[in-house]
Amino acid sequence: MASVLDLRRRIRSVKSTRQITKAMKMVSAARLRRAQARAMAARPYAQMITSVLTSLIRRTEVIDPATGNLRHPLFMARPEKKILLIVVSGDRGFAGAFNGNILKAAYQFLGANEGKEFDLEAIGRKATDQFRRRYPAAVRVEQTSENPADFEPMTISRRERKAQIEVVGDHVGMLEKLNAENVFELAKDVIARFVHEEIDACYLVYNEFKSVIQQRVVVERLLPLFEIGKQQITGAIEPSKEEREAAAEAAVSAGVSLSAADTAEADTEAKKFGTAEVDYIYDESAEELFNGLLPKYVASMLFHALAESVAAEHAARMTAMDSATNNASDMIDSYTLQMNRLRQAAITKEIIEIVSGAAAV
Amino acid sequence: MAEGSKIRVRLVTPEKVLVDDTADAVELPATSGYMEVLYGHAPLMAELGSGDVTFHGLDGTEVTRYNVSWGFVEVLPERVTILANDALIPSAIDVPRAKEQRERGEALWNQAGDSAEAYVEANRVIHEAEAKLASAASKG
Repeated sequence: MASVLDLRRRIRSVKSTRQITKAMKMVSAARLRRAQARAMAARPYAQMITSVLTSLIRRTEVIDPATGNLRHPLFMARPEKKILLIVVSGDRGFAGAFNGNILKAAYQFLGANEGKEFDLEAIGRKATDQFRRRYPAAVRVEQTSENPADFEPMTISRRERKAQIEVVGDHVGMLEKLNAENVFELAKDVIARFVHEEIDACYLVYNEFKSVIQQRVVVERLLPLFEIGKQQITGAIEPSKEEREAAAEAAVSAGVSLSAADTAEADTEAKKFGTAEVDYIYDESAEELFNGLLPKYVASMLFHALAESVAAEHAARMTAMDSATNNASDMIDSYTLQMNRLRQAAITKEIIEIVSGAAAV
Repeated sequence: MAEGSKIRVRLVTPEKVLVDDTADAVELPATSGYMEVLYGHAPLMAELGSGDVTFHGLDGTEVTRYNVSWGFVEVLPERVTILANDALIPSAIDVPRAKEQRERGEALWNQAGDSAEAYVEANRVIHEAEAKLASAASKG
């Protein structure tokens, strides 16, 4: 049985752990607030692109009369044989089930589409580490063309597929300093691969985050596009009731608001963009404008997903650290009780000894 | 200038709303050339190439410039809204990096071979870099 001294030591150690988890929780709460503000600030752009695109669709002949589909390569649905899966995880651990859930959703998706060829693109360190261990990297082979008609020999890099599932790229640190430039670069790359038919579809696994209590891990189809302004969620893992309650409790104690921020006013303002009931002069044909805007629309969707994922990661860490702090408090309470009992027992024993010693004299 | 002749301007980037104010005039780098928009301009939509968006008389300042690499603009008689990617004030432009970008563009140009698409891309990169350099070099 532990002595009073042992227990006192243990209490001190748990106390310092509690201090650390509490500090981590407050840091995560501050970061969460900042990430939420950033996600909010990114909304007008996405909203404006969406509204101008829908308005352009109505105004122009971008729709193919024969099929009723939009005449743009990004709307071309093909049988999905080669799929690019972008997995957005966190950079760091200590975030409860956050990374685990995302990877679980990714593996479920891979399992459900067995037999198809997959390219994996990992964003965030956790997904990168995991995929690098499990799947081989994609190999590109440099080839020199022997075509005599060519001015000088050209090198063409060609993809050589060796396994069903390969890792094509990773973006560690993209989330840490999330800026639009890098994300738009990635989106451009993905669009080019889709247009060149290197991939038939692009899916995105990430943690959607509207507010602390309104979040879930989703699988969303990024390409091909189907309808402007509509998310194509193909699968979702909703958090359990307990998880939601724990998150709400953590948010309240850290002073983070529970409801999604009110965006109605900014949204209606943004929705006016490009939709006035007037005849616009087009500097170029409306179709050209449409084609120029569409890739940015895809990029802004991706950017939005990343911004939400960053907020979700901080929220998950905040929740995890909140329950760690609570656990530490419980532990301290139970140790203190144990220690007091032990001390009392020792005192009682001493008194009995003194009393019985006095009686013997 | 009378208050009524000011035009409402907004510059929106993927990250945030950068400018939301009124100005006397705006110069825009449309893909077909620079144009200036004043109060009462006819409704218009245009794609912007790389270049400087210049606001005149914005918030008491004489001239405010932002370098953009791509953009989209909607002009209405009393309002101009610009969607732009990475809008930078000239002093924030990283000149060595822009030079690097130009070199990369030139390398792309040399490697483009037969691919028209590669030429277009190389041109875009070079053009973007040169617009950045020009913007950083000019004063005011």
